[in-house]
Amino acid sequence: MDQLVDDFAARRPSGLEQVYALWSRLFFSVARHVIADSGQAEDCVHDALMRVWRNPNRFEGNREMLKAYLITCVRNESLGMVRREGRRDARELKAARLAPVTSVDPPVVDPVETQRLQAALGRLPEEQRRALTLAYYGNKTHVEIAQELSVPLGTIKSRISMAMRKLHTELASSGGTRS
Amino acid sequence: MIEHLGEDAELYPLGILDDDAARNVERHVAFCSECAERVAQAEAVAASLAAALPLATPSPTLERRLRESARPQLGARKLSANVFRFAIAAAFVLAFLGLGLQTLLLRQRLAAEDVALVTMVHSHFNHVSMNPESANPVAAKILYARDGSWIYIIADKPVGALHAIARTTAGVADLGVLGSAGETATLLVHPRERIQSIVLQRAGTNVASAKLAY
Repeated sequence: MDQLVDDFAARRPSGLEQVYALWSRLFFSVARHVIADSGQAEDCVHDALMRVWRNPNRFEGNREMLKAYLITCVRNESLGMVRREGRRDARELKAARLAPVTSVDPPVVDPVETQRLQAALGRLPEEQRRALTLAYYGNKTHVEIAQELSVPLGTIKSRISMAMRKLHTELASSGGTRS
Repeated sequence: MIEHLGEDAELYPLGILDDDAARNVERHVAFCSECAERVAQAEAVAASLAAALPLATPSPTLERRLRESARPQLGARKLSANVFRFAIAAAFVLAFLGLGLQTLLLRQRLAAEDVALVTMVHSHFNHVSMNPESANPVAAKILYARDGSWIYIIADKPVGALHAIARTTAGVADLGVLGSAGETATLLVHPRERIQSIVLQRAGTNVASAKLAY
């Protein structure tokens, strides 16, 4: 097992410290993409990491899988906070959003990763790409996307699911994701 | 026959499932390796999507908070051992000094309260007042971590031993008896499973109850 994953799973402080040193900016960026308030975004990162660190049963694998899992936890924690506190209004999300809702081109930060991602996104059918980007970069629920695009809910779920699976194949073949 | 997650496996890492559906995914992947693999693949894609977000830097406070939050549990374990060793040594000393055992118990009690207070200082928590359940109820309140990692029960003027019983996501759990020192009785628990509700019993009779909302 990867030493970092081993340390984290064993709840050694060094595991938490390594995770923070490597990915804290990424986690915070994920939270800030959902929540405008920096303090609340930090709360979400804190709560998500502590929840996993205290009960690290779920993940088995390498550090990339751990990173992906923790990103999921932070994003779900952030969206959960917004929903719980009833602040999921358009103005709040618009303020937090760092990319236009309708954009299919996410903001460029990691040139290599983004180039690979954009290439993979570009190969998706338009309706799948639109549904996925509205979900991730627009922070919209599948219900909201269905309403916005005037498409049945089941169709939206299928489009997003297929887009994710195709992206996995594309990115894995170009070395972008590991699992 | 297992009913697999289907498309929810890809929707989960995007955070667009409602709470019930998301919890179902988390429960399912704990025993279904096929779906766990599918969710892991979707998480890898979501990580790639996240990598394209503009990077933001958290304040130094976050790292400090995480260190401090990780510390109480370690501290609690060390503290328990220390309290135990201290208790043995103190018992001999107190016997020689002729002081009462009450002093030792009070020290242990204060140490336990310190652990509870430190835990709370470094956590985000909710609280709920317990509902009376009998003609002779007890006034009690529960403070609990938003992430479900701990609960702290406080009862005012307990009048007898109070036993805490919890319903968790895995079933019913006996949390133990609230410790009493004077006017109040308290109990700090770090549960393995998320607690959904708690009942306080006095001599086998329910005297107060509360549901926890996360």
